[in-house]
Amino acid sequence: MKKLTRILGIATAITLFTVGVASAATLGLGSGKLAAGSAAVSGCTSSALTATRNVNNSNNVTQVNVLAVPQACAGETLALTLENSSHASLGSTSTTVGTCTGGCTVSLTGFGTVAAASLTAYAISLTQ
Amino acid sequence: MRRFRLTPLRLAAAIVLGSLSFAGVGYAASLGLGTKKIFAWSQTLTKGSCNQTSTTADDTFVQQANPTSTTGSSATTLTITGGAMNQNIAFIRFNLSGCSLPTTAGADGSTLALFVTTSSMHTISLFPVTSSWSSSTLNWNGVSGLTIGSTATTTFTGSAGSHTVTVTSDVDAAIKAGTLWGWELKDAAGGPAATTAIASAENGTTANRPSLTLSYEK
Repeated sequence: MKKLTRILGIATAITLFTVGVASAATLGLGSGKLAAGSAAVSGCTSSALTATRNVNNSNNVTQVNVLAVPQACAGETLALTLENSSHASLGSTSTTVGTCTGGCTVSLTGFGTVAAASLTAYAISLTQ
Repeated sequence: MRRFRLTPLRLAAAIVLGSLSFAGVGYAASLGLGTKKIFAWSQTLTKGSCNQTSTTADDTFVQQANPTSTTGSSATTLTITGGAMNQNIAFIRFNLSGCSLPTTAGADGSTLALFVTTSSMHTISLFPVTSSWSSSTLNWNGVSGLTIGSTATTTFTGSAGSHTVTVTSDVDAAIKAGTLWGWELKDAAGGPAATTAIASAENGTTANRPSLTLSYEK
């Protein structure tokens, strides 16, 4: 019985140590990747792209076009938020970048009714 | 068949193996999170205005009855006449080059102001022109060579006095195309012909000349 208790004690110690190391490794790796994520880039582009928008005769934005999206971004999710001068959201939408030759123009709609005069910034992200 | 006996050593081995597989799953999960990379950026827009007066306007009208005549440099009014024969069609544009807008810019709002000097009460339609023309050379025969939108951007009733029409979408498209080639103004009404006259950029009353407001982003 004494032997069994000792062996179980050692096994438990090994278990706790292993899980602890694994958890630390997981946390360490995870936080490393999160930190890298804020500064790192999606694999398809390393520079900010330019967006333009179309308007109708009610002076509302009808469509936003992100220009020259590299072909390598095909399949990634492009998310867009239209912002006012306080950087509050006026509307948002997202789409999957399609395949195209050379640089793609990705057109986005579905962000609701946004007055062109109120739109002062775009926040855009590409996610793998 | 041998009976499996749970010895203390086997129990300990099972605990260790279970722990390692648990840690492995956790590690794989962390790898899965790591592959989801995000690239985010923002673009701030600059707002401004660039209103146009008759000094940057170019206008003319062409006459079916005089298909090779030009009127742009001298007419103080632009006449617009409907009907099947003897139609007159007017053209107005503004040179936006002084606004120094890149083709990635856009119009937030734009209106065209016109002053009707002779009323017909007919509906006048504005069609966007997207190919080059000059008042010094455009005549009736040359109109067929222009690229003109098939759908009217806007209309107004040709009553006497000032009229302001919204042309934001056309101006926005023109900024992106690089040049604003303006509008064709037509009276599409059937029946008896009637003439609407609009003050031109050469009109003696400066306040009545065509003008364009433009608020933009770039």
